[in-house]
Formats: sequence, C-alpha cells, structure tokens
Amino acid sequence: MIKEEFLERTIDSTARKSLEKADQDRIETVWDRLESQEPQCGYGLLGICCRNCAMGPCRIDPFGNNPTRGVCGADADTLVARNLARMIAAGAAAHSDHGRDIVEVLHLTALGKTSGYQITDEEKLKRIAGEYGINVDGRVKEEIAKELAEKAMDEYGMRKNTLQFAERAPEKRKEIWKNLGIWPRSIDREIVEIMHRTTMGVDADFVNILLQGLRVSLSDGWGGSMIATEFSDILFGTPTPKESFVNLGVLKEDTVNIIVHGHNPLMSEMVVDASRDAEIIKLAKQKGATGITLAGICCTANEILMRKGIPVAGNFLIQELAITTGAVDAMVVDYQCIMPSLVPIADCYQTKLITTSPKAKIKGATHIEFDPERAYEIGKEIVKEAIEAYGNRNPDRVNIPNHPVKMMAGFSAEAILGALGGTVQPLIDAIVAGKIRGIAAIVGCNNPKIKQDYGHVTLAKRLIENNVLVIQTGCSAIATGKAGLLVPEAADQAGEGLKEIANALGVPPILHMGSCVDISRILTVAAVIAKELNVDISDLPVAGAAPEWMTEKAVAIGAYVVASGIFTVLGPIPPVLGSANVTGLLTQGLGDVVGATFAVEPDPEKAAELIIKHIDEKRKALGLTTPPTGAS
Amino acid sequence: MKTVYIKPENCIGCKHCEVACAVEHSETKNLYSAISEEPLPISKIHVMPTFGIMAYPGKCMHCDPTPCIQVCPSGAISRDKETDTILINEEKCIGCGMCAIVCPFSAVLFNPSWRVSVDRDVAHKCDNCFERITNDLIPACVEACKTGALGYGDINEIIREERRAVGKTAAQLAAAIPVEEKIPELLKVWRDLALSMSQVGEKK
Repeated sequence: MIKEEFLERTIDSTARKSLEKADQDRIETVWDRLESQEPQCGYGLLGICCRNCAMGPCRIDPFGNNPTRGVCGADADTLVARNLARMIAAGAAAHSDHGRDIVEVLHLTALGKTSGYQITDEEKLKRIAGEYGINVDGRVKEEIAKELAEKAMDEYGMRKNTLQFAERAPEKRKEIWKNLGIWPRSIDREIVEIMHRTTMGVDADFVNILLQGLRVSLSDGWGGSMIATEFSDILFGTPTPKESFVNLGVLKEDTVNIIVHGHNPLMSEMVVDASRDAEIIKLAKQKGATGITLAGICCTANEILMRKGIPVAGNFLIQELAITTGAVDAMVVDYQCIMPSLVPIADCYQTKLITTSPKAKIKGATHIEFDPERAYEIGKEIVKEAIEAYGNRNPDRVNIPNHPVKMMAGFSAEAILGALGGTVQPLIDAIVAGKIRGIAAIVGCNNPKIKQDYGHVTLAKRLIENNVLVIQTGCSAIATGKAGLLVPEAADQAGEGLKEIANALGVPPILHMGSCVDISRILTVAAVIAKELNVDISDLPVAGAAPEWMTEKAVAIGAYVVASGIFTVLGPIPPVLGSANVTGLLTQGLGDVVGATFAVEPDPEKAAELIIKHIDEKRKALGLTTPPTGAS
Repeated sequence: MKTVYIKPENCIGCKHCEVACAVEHSETKNLYSAISEEPLPISKIHVMPTFGIMAYPGKCMHCDPTPCIQVCPSGAISRDKETDTILINEEKCIGCGMCAIVCPFSAVLFNPSWRVSVDRDVAHKCDNCFERITNDLIPACVEACKTGALGYGDINEIIREERRAVGKTAAQLAAAIPVEEKIPELLKVWRDLALSMSQVGEKK
C-alpha cells in the first residue's frame, strides 16, 4: 500500500513507488522542500518586490495601503513589469545560449576541429543555408556549414539588426511586430536591453517594458530556440518517427545504468555513441554487467529520444527519484533544470553525479568538462566512470519499479509534413471538415505545486476526446508518454474524427515534437499552415498550454507563443497579480495588440474548456462549422 | 491595554515579521551580525500555511488568567502589570515544557538563548518587544508588517473601530448602498486560483 501522501504528489506509478522507497531511505525530495518553504512570500508570488538597487529592497502593499511605491517611486505596475521582463530575458538567455553552443560546435565541426561530430543532415544544411541566402551549389558541406554557422553567430550580434528565422512568420504577423516596434533585432541585444531597461531609473512605463519583454521572447522563439533546433538537426539528424520506452522501469538490474539529464544534445549524443562503443561494452561485461542501459531525463532525453530512440526515465520531478532506485550508476548532467539536491542523494546510493558544463557545476559532483575537440573521448571517459561505479553498486538497495511504457516520438515539422505527403493540405482539410477541431500545444515543466503529470495528462485526454490534435514537447510530452498516450493505439481514447485521422496515418493522437527549444518546430508548423491559408497565426483554431510550468524559460516561451498570436493557458499562477494593469494587459489588452492573450487556470478540466471554447471561436471566425461540445 | 492584533485576511505569508522578531531578540539587534550569532536568534512569531495560499502568524496572546504562569514550577514566568506582557526569565527557566503543554496557542518553543550563560534549551515566546514598547516604539513584527496583518494598539479602541466598520456595512446594506470590498478584487482572484491549484487532481 502506497501512502496517501505519495498518491497525492504524482500520478506516475513508478514515481509513487520510488517516493515510498525515498521515504524508507530517509531521502528528502523536492516535495518535502516545498512543504518547508510554505507559506511562500506573497510579495514574491504577486511580483511586487524589487531588489534592483541598494535603496531597496522595496515592496508594495497588495491591499492598496502604504507603501504604494518603492523608494525610487516605482509603483506596482512598474515592479511587476520589470520582474516579468527579467524572467523572460533569463528564459530567452537559457534557450539562446544553448543555441549558441550548438552553432559553435557546428562551426568547429565544419573546420574539422571536433571529435565525434559530423554534419548528419546535409539536405537540411542546404535548406537552412538557402534561407540565409548562402550559395550551396557545387560547395562541400563543410564549406556551407562554416558560412552558415558564421551567419548564425551574427544573429547574436549588433550589426545585422534583424533575425533571419523571424522571416518564416506569415506577412500579417510580421507587420504586427514591425508596427509595434517589437521585431527582434538580435538575440543577445534584446536580452541585454531588458537588463538595461529594468535597472534603477530607466524604463518605468509598464507597457513599454512589456513590449520589450515580447521582443526578447520573439528573439528566443524565432531566434535562439529555433537556431538550437535547426542546427541540432544539421549536426545530429532531423528526427523521424520512432518507438521507445518511458518511465523508471527502463532501468535494468543487470546493466550499467547511465542517465543523461539536462538540455543540450552536444554531450548526451556523445554519451550515446560512447555507450555503443564495442570496447566500452566489453569493459562493462568484464565488470559483470550484461551491457549498458542509457536513459534520459528532461529535454536532453527528448533530444536523444527524437533522434536515436533512447528511452526516457522520466521528466523533471523524476530526477531525484531516479537515483533512489539505487540502480543509477552515473547521472550525467549538462545544464538547466538540474536540482542541486542531486548531490546528497547521489551520495547515498554510490551514484556518480557528473557535471559536464563549465556553466553548471555543483559542489560535491564529479566534474568532467565538455570539450568539443575531445567530445567523443570525454563521452567514453564518462561511460567508464559509470562502469567503475557499477562495481560499487549495492544490490540490496536496488528497487526498480514497474515495467516501462511504450511511446512514440520523433515528430519534427519535416516528419509531420512527410507523413501528410509533403504538404499541410491534408491537415487543413481535416480541420475544415471538423474531423480535427483544432490544434493545441501542451508544453512545459513539472511543478510540485501541481500533482505531477496530472495537469498534462488530464488536459491532453480532454482535448483529444474533443477531437483537438495535441502536439507536445518537453516534460509535458514525457508525462503523456508515461500515461500511455503516445502510441497509435491511444487513438481509441480520441474523438471519432481525430481517431480516424490518427489511424489513417498510423500515428498517436498526440504528437511528441521534441525538447523545449523544439517549440520552435511548433511555430514553424503554425506559420506554414497560416501561410497556406493566407491568414495570420492568430486566426488559426490553435491554442497553447503549460499546465505545470515552473522555469523562467517557460515564461519566455509563453510570451513568444502569445506574441506569435496563440492563446495560451497557464496552470501555475505567474507572479503578476500584484498589478491590475499588467494582469489586464496580459489577459485582455494583448488581444487587441497581438491577437492573443494569456489565461490562468490551474484546473486542467477547466483549462480544456477554455481551449475548446477558444478553438470554436476561431473556427467560427474562419467560417467553419463548429462541432458540438462534449466527448464524442 | 495595548496589544499586537492579527488580521489573518491581510497576511500574505512573507515572513518579514519573523525576520524582524529574530533580529530584535538577537544579541546584536542587527540583521547582518544577527545571522552569525551563536546561538542563532529565533523568531517568536510563526507564520504558518493554513489552506490554499492563506497563512497565519501565530504568537503568544498574553492571556489573563495565564495558564503558563499557573503551571511554571520554577517561577520563571511573570506578568508585567504596566504593559500586560507575559515575560520569561530565561535564567530561571528549567526547560520542563509545562508552559508549552498548557499554552492554548502552542506559542512556546525551546531553544538556546544568548541571555542564558549555560548552553541549554529555554522557553521562547513573544514578549511584546518589551524593550521597544517601554521606549515608545511599536513591536518589531508590527513595524515590519506592510500589509496590515499585524497591528498594535489599545484592544478596546481596535474593537470600537471594527464595530464602526461593521455598523457602516450593515447600514449600507440596509440602504442598498454598494459596500466597498475590503480585499482588492485581484487578491481574491489570486487566492481562489491558489486554492484551486492546491486542489488540482484531489479526489472530489
């Protein structure tokens, strides 16, 4: 019998069992720490504290009495807008710096200076080079890649003053951005400008601050994130549909188990390759293991799942629990969403926690620094560490829960178009016919404030029941994967229309499109559909949702999705309710400006209703008949 | 009789009162040095989560009659008549816990104190910031609270004010005049959403 308390924390059965084990082993987890933090500070939750200068820290009384202004005179509107803008900038910085690392490695690879990397998708290289106006005829791929990487480097600078991939948006959308003055000029510039504008005594106009917030978000979605996606495809291959397995059950008792966790595929791809190296496998067998099992957590999992079919151990809230199985010999991390709490937990189970990025070290972890010039050798070094640790594993403390669940992933924009026969027309036809009511992107994190996976899975189920095609990325996709919804057979849980289409194509009713930076794939598809119909993205019967979001990256994503014209429902409450004006702008005002707004609805059942209502309104405006509400 | 009063509807759980209390009861009375004192000062007011996002700052209510005085075997607890404050003489405290057992507000904690020469746990609870109030200052927690969840004043005067407000509301309702909300609309939205968030996926 699993304790009621653990049943309330998550719907992932493997997580429930591991929570029980963590409890027996007296391991403190993220849920325990959230409890210790409660009650959390209302100023922070409402966004009305400011630490941006030494006259402060200041806060505003949310009940409307004194203090109504900070020492400098900034009011709640300014404080909330500044704090939100900084969150967007931090999120954009994370995605874009990830993209920068990929560009640098592509450049070095083109120069022949890396080990383990190659230009895998030459067709895509040429296509992207074409977008940048690079001559590809009669040139070797290395030469093209070098020029393309250099052009991409300019996207981060201040001489070009425009982003190439933003040109992918429909004309009407581009006009909106230009007229509002939020066309992104460069990736780094917009982020730096947020830091400038929000420092003491600069921008105090909340509307002006938030417009720059939208601009920096666009430099992420149509810039840094899109570069991360497209350039990763060039290096490692554009994803195609493939099957794999998910949940903690993918770990095996008799193999060396390695988990890669983080976001960037540069290191994890090398660990994948190294773990398949005959010499390395031989070494593992000498240690008594039957082989090497590699699995992922968070978005680096999605990167290698999409391209190599590597199984997934879980999403964000699984990272601590994975170690408590006692069966993880090494957890290899790059950056983003890595809990520092992994160090003391890894210590309890002889798990080697290996940091690899000079940007993300954790005291107490083993640091084996990533270096593109020796990447493959470093990959092997890391796997050897895991094999060494396998020898120290204590079998009495191993408890791997359940059986893994089958899932399907690999739905890049190219793969979706391929499945449709090279054009989006069949998808448009299905939408027009009402077989597919609309499309909803469910993305984002886990957050211990929401029962793990419940938000993602419940929302996804309600939407497919109502013939809304669901597309997913990130930890959200892993959630529905664990729930068994990412298989073609799950079409049985969809409404009749969606079921028919999914069965005809042999795909799940929910398409896993990749990692968090791969939300750029969703933008690309949305732009293609809008252009095909000669409308704006905001005219389409589409919506976005982040039912369990937690990071600043999710704030940046929410901002660029809305700025791109897509209505977005957030589960957890963003720290903006301390200002009625900012809240009003985000939930209503933006509709008149960018044709989309935010809504906040923690209950996924109600979020589904909001999304379906929105989709039906958009259908009506396009002159399409609206299918009746309710499950079919 | 002046007292610290609590308006739970105004508490947003920031715990600023706790920090101010710990600093006020530290040896150095300075935030930057208090955090490295040994023993570390502790707060005598405790902000606890209740339901949803609501929090409640719990503390000694300086009762009269006073259960803790009645049971203290070492005579460590006394009442200051002037300020109606219940005080603990930490040197006399023997750490037996009787006061904590009878306290109706669970306001007593046991910890080391810089006032006690031997390293042992003694009873800690709110002293109304005795040094401050006898020097015409308001208690540190009240000074720190910017949302009006904590106030300080004459109890009868506070009750009179509340009564006036109740009377005004009743009169407005009777005359069909719209009553202005005490809590801003957006804060109610926030609290409703937070409550809803804390209940997501719960069995109905």
